[in-house]
Amino acid sequence: MNRLLSVLARCATATTLAVAGVASVPAAAQAATYAQIEGTGSTWSEVIVQQWIADVDAAGMKVVYTGGGSTKGRKDFAQDTNDFAISEIPFQGTDEQGNADTSNGRSFAYLPIVAGGTAFTYQLKVGNELVRNLRLSGETLTKIFTNQITNWNDPAITKDNNGRAFPNLPITPVVRSDGSGTTAQLTTWMDKEYPSIWRPYFGKSGLTSYYPKKSGSRTVSQAGSDQVMNFISSTYGNGTIGYVEYSYPVNKNYPVVKVLNKGGYYVEPTQYNVAVALTKARINTSNPNDPSTYLTQILDDVYRNPDPRAYPISSYSYMVIPTASDDPRMTTAKRQTLADFMYYSLCAGQTKAGPYGYSPLPLNLVQAGFDQIAKLGKADKDVDLTNRDVRSCNNPTFDGKNLSNNKLAQIAPQPAACDKAGAGPCGTSTGTGDPSTDEGDGGATDEGDGDGGGGGGGGGTDVDTGGEVTTDAPGSVDPVTGEVVGGDTGAVSDGAAVYADPSTVLVADRAGDTRAFAWLSGLLLVTLVVLPGLYVSALRRRGSAGARS
Amino acid sequence: MSGRVRRRALAAAVLLSLGSGLVLAGPSSTGATEPSARASAPAYSETKTLQRVVTKADGSLQEFPAYTVTVTADQTTDLRGRQRIRIAWKGAQPSGGRASNPFGESGLAQEYPVVIMQCRGVEEPGKGEKQLRPETCWTASFAQRSQITRSDGEAAWRHDLDADEADKGRVSGLDPLPGADVCPTADIAGYSTRLTPFVAASGKVFPACQADQMPPEAAVGAAFPAAELAAFTDLDGRGEVQFEVRSDVENESLGCNHETACSIVVIPIVGLSCDQPSSPPTASDNACRRTGRFVPGSGNFASEGVDQAVSPTLWWAASQWKNRFTIPITFGLPPDTCDILDPRAPTGFYGTELLAQAALQWSPAYCLRKDRFKFQHNQMSDEAGFTLMENGGGAAALVSSEQTQVGLDPVGYAPTAITGFAIGYVVDKPDNAGELATLRITPRLVAKLLTQSYLGSDLGRGHPGMEGNPLSIMQDPEFVRLNPGLSQINQEVGATLLSLSNQSDIIRQLTDWVMQDRAARDFVSGEADQWGMVVNPNYEGLALPASEIPLLDDFVPETGNTCRQENPAVYFNQIAAPVTTLRKISEALLDAHPNVQTRCELDADTGLYKVGRIGRQSYGARFMLGLVSLGDVERYGLKAAALQAAPGKFVEPTESSMAAAVSLMEPGDETLPFTLDQAAVRTSSKAYPGTMVVYTAARMQNLDEADAAKVAQFIRVATSEGQRPGPGNGQLPAGYLPLRRTGVTAGLYAAAQDVATAIGTQTPPASTLPDPVDPTTDGGSGGTDVPTTVPDAPAGEEPPVAEEPSEAPAPVEEDTAPVAMPATTAISSRTAGLLLPLLFLGGLLGSLAVAGTRFLVRPPRQG
Repeated sequence: MNRLLSVLARCATATTLAVAGVASVPAAAQAATYAQIEGTGSTWSEVIVQQWIADVDAAGMKVVYTGGGSTKGRKDFAQDTNDFAISEIPFQGTDEQGNADTSNGRSFAYLPIVAGGTAFTYQLKVGNELVRNLRLSGETLTKIFTNQITNWNDPAITKDNNGRAFPNLPITPVVRSDGSGTTAQLTTWMDKEYPSIWRPYFGKSGLTSYYPKKSGSRTVSQAGSDQVMNFISSTYGNGTIGYVEYSYPVNKNYPVVKVLNKGGYYVEPTQYNVAVALTKARINTSNPNDPSTYLTQILDDVYRNPDPRAYPISSYSYMVIPTASDDPRMTTAKRQTLADFMYYSLCAGQTKAGPYGYSPLPLNLVQAGFDQIAKLGKADKDVDLTNRDVRSCNNPTFDGKNLSNNKLAQIAPQPAACDKAGAGPCGTSTGTGDPSTDEGDGGATDEGDGDGGGGGGGGGTDVDTGGEVTTDAPGSVDPVTGEVVGGDTGAVSDGAAVYADPSTVLVADRAGDTRAFAWLSGLLLVTLVVLPGLYVSALRRRGSAGARS
Repeated sequence: MSGRVRRRALAAAVLLSLGSGLVLAGPSSTGATEPSARASAPAYSETKTLQRVVTKADGSLQEFPAYTVTVTADQTTDLRGRQRIRIAWKGAQPSGGRASNPFGESGLAQEYPVVIMQCRGVEEPGKGEKQLRPETCWTASFAQRSQITRSDGEAAWRHDLDADEADKGRVSGLDPLPGADVCPTADIAGYSTRLTPFVAASGKVFPACQADQMPPEAAVGAAFPAAELAAFTDLDGRGEVQFEVRSDVENESLGCNHETACSIVVIPIVGLSCDQPSSPPTASDNACRRTGRFVPGSGNFASEGVDQAVSPTLWWAASQWKNRFTIPITFGLPPDTCDILDPRAPTGFYGTELLAQAALQWSPAYCLRKDRFKFQHNQMSDEAGFTLMENGGGAAALVSSEQTQVGLDPVGYAPTAITGFAIGYVVDKPDNAGELATLRITPRLVAKLLTQSYLGSDLGRGHPGMEGNPLSIMQDPEFVRLNPGLSQINQEVGATLLSLSNQSDIIRQLTDWVMQDRAARDFVSGEADQWGMVVNPNYEGLALPASEIPLLDDFVPETGNTCRQENPAVYFNQIAAPVTTLRKISEALLDAHPNVQTRCELDADTGLYKVGRIGRQSYGARFMLGLVSLGDVERYGLKAAALQAAPGKFVEPTESSMAAAVSLMEPGDETLPFTLDQAAVRTSSKAYPGTMVVYTAARMQNLDEADAAKVAQFIRVATSEGQRPGPGNGQLPAGYLPLRRTGVTAGLYAAAQDVATAIGTQTPPASTLPDPVDPTTDGGSGGTDVPTTVPDAPAGEEPPVAEEPSEAPAPVEEDTAPVAMPATTAISSRTAGLLLPLLFLGGLLGSLAVAGTRFLVRPPRQG
């Protein structure tokens, strides 16, 4: 009996193996050997990194990534507890508290992975409606985050919005409580552009990863980009403003501030505007042998880019990869995984940057990235890097003729006239990923640069997370008739949401009216309930009276 | 174990695995919670009697009680990396001093646990197989395998009864011991050291005397947590874990794959057996004889010291190692994978995360074939994916309900996969009695959680309008009555269901299920439950179902806590802290790490008060609920709650309960999605309310020809070979109900084929074409699932503000004088406000009077 069983089992196993073996034949020849790699760091770029991780799974690569902030990523790298880190800023040598911020002797290289804009998302209600087209200058923003401008009715904000005043409402800045590259991006920008405002507040010059929240101010801190977004978008969040990578508001369909650029326009960090701004990024290529500076970004000219399309607070996110041949965590298979994960991310992975709220890298940086990846091959000759270069890069945003051009920046639409300082403001919604432009059809300030799809869908390559507005927003459009419905018309006619026009203040929600209508509806309800009964009972009485007679 | 027995066990395992494969393929199939799966014989089962023996001073033996332990495992063959295997045991010695985290290094401070780890090799190796030994067993830290520089009182192993003389020396384990350049602290006079080196698959030996002498995969506190653990046995002698196996992809040094045989080793710790003591007994003699400081069933959350002789640290000592149960495991062939150098550009389908696990297995089935395309699933909200598809950003969208159409091109919805959501949970029974196996949840309980109606802690008591509410679900009498016997010790996380912050069809269906329940509806509308709990006033009358749960609370507790004063925040929102993806929720459940953001403390480094996420929960005191996908439930071995269908009927997600829900679905018009009426679910005793269909939605007109062909091919492949259950490429993972040509899914299948044709040929059915008189379909009023979005205004609408054709050139800010604005005041008229209802009242009275005269005053007609 046992014999029989085991024979049967062997036959079954053999059959299984045979079937499986046949199935596996084609792959055996081509598959690279991969081993799982683990990373930690930035939440700024986490949204797209997680999607890349899902993508490369099909190629047999296992990548584990947890956010936790750029500072944590760099620390973990220094302590040999990860295989790569993602950070918006390089190792600082010593951090603002005087603690070491170095790789602790672990050899590394920086590798730009994706571009994006640090967006200011906010909740500001006029009446009951969300403002979706707020505009602010860099100076106003800096004063808000240094507690100098503390109310939404501040004249500086009114001026930024071309005279449109906002309600008397205190401003609550929301900052990050964890060590954050997003904070570092913001404070770098403030330090470079508005030192006379930032430095007295900070008490010194330079950037910081830990926002210096002042005791007694309205500023609140939250851990991680998700929580900043939750805090701002909650009902309680009216009056808040915070900073996150653009992907977070885009995925939540939440408005962002249009920031004034040196070209005199208020612009949103769409993939186009970020790409335009970063054409002026100075990438430090002075010494390829100095890993602590090579490929790091100098963003001064990005902040001051005079192009009317440029979003000032644009930057790159970096991966930190270990390059030593005797790195304690690296093996051939891990290096191969890291190299191929990056090959995918720098090439095909860039195509989805726009839909997720990022901006693809220009080809010169992809090229430089490949040079960095090559260091993995140098550390270990068994790492296969053949055919992994820009020529095979599957990225349609590239300009084949000039590597340092960013095709996206060239096709980026000009901003709408109403986005100009002193004009507008435009009524179009922010936080949708769509550019605000007059290009496309008929000078409309709305989107519509797309495929002529009629109903105003959006541009060809843009994501539009829905253009959703609350159903009772003035200027909602009836899906059947296309007519503007609800609210008093005239003020807003573009179907997005309210903007800072005082006339909408008055129609949005009048507290005095609610009581009247409450009574009215109450009475109506009573009538609805009582009247049929009365009628029926009256009829019955009549009927019975008739029968009796 | 004799060779015969082993062979028999193997044979049985193979047969069983084949058998279970058949079961999987059958219509009635599995689901982790399906009782039938549990009832079937385990893939591995073995019983042994374990006994600790201590030699007395006179040389006689003192025998401790014997334990007859049975260990079972549910799957042992054709495993994949990171697959979770259920390992259970009974008859073991109850554990004491439970650690808050049993994994890796942090599990060491326990007494009488069951050590479970993965080792390379097998017992009695056959041809090409390697012998299993402690040196091939994986641990993530050196502290789990080596004892470095121990004083005599901590050197119990040196008196192990079963150890060779060489292993009782002052330094042992590696001969010769590595020099001071490698292991500087190993050999120090007067102290004992025992190394258990790790031998990698490559043959390389890691001395394991300190952290840098461990293999590259070993790290403490890494993003990828340890799998090996010291598990807890409850007072009945039982225990159970989900053990995650690692292939050579996850752990190259351990090196388990389809060619290298491996095992899971289970060692119930009964304590060291000791040799004859010296006279007088030395400190190490005494250490060997210790029997533990913690009473059975107790906790050791403070990580106090434990008695070494009964702790998991000496698992490798001969008298413990011989008590091992060895579960042979085999890994399946690694799946074929896409080539990273494939020159074809990927074709992106954008949408719901519900399809994530299926898409992972499906992708290689596309890229590996020249006649197919490179399929990619980009996860985002249903609505965002749909918009991308409509404006040409994506070839197709993956959605779970009808979306509001903006473009003019008719969109077809092809049923592609049947899956759904679950309320995942991790709940420990009190007194370390193990994990809760069945959790029952009513719609009203979900309503209470989603409306932030629990107080969380004393901090929430000041919230106006709900002072009398329970602190958390564990103290809610409704929950206690449904799920008796659980701890009622409050935790903040018990006030929330970790959910999504973005829009999702999942939220819509969840809240639809909630609102079909009268009790839940009444609760949301402000009626107290029978115990007096009321809805959070900020959520009273919340319009549900909706595709997003807003954070509506505004209560900031007043407290003397400086940190909270520095960081005023809405307390309930900190507890709810929704996240952007279902995957994050699954991970939070797996780690029992709530996303509650109420930690508030002074950061010494920066001198700032900071808020952040609370720590992981301790084993034995875990309690957490989260919204997850059924795909993740199966992939990660999460537990899924039984949701109430008909009153008093609670249904777990299984294939049969999903099929029952599918049979209730109503087809949509032509190419539109099916709808699941939760009112019908409420009448069923076996339909799972969380069942959802994922549709591939694409334009049936004006779609690029190549894309149209790809989408049609995807639908056809997904609904045929993509529906074969299994873990392989192109197959359907667990957590999905196969969508077949026949049976309850026949309607869905037929609809998929029709839509595939319509998309492939770009010829929509006539009725779906827009018609000026009778507009597209039913204009959004018909389906129950139409989101409350409205399309953007048609382009070309008048711009809101007159544009000044740019007069002044560049420099900007100066040239516009700000418009002087009057202070914003609300305009209203009290007279008018009063007049309106009064007029109406007047009219009403008038008509009543008229009617009254007609009916009451006029004499009845003469009959």
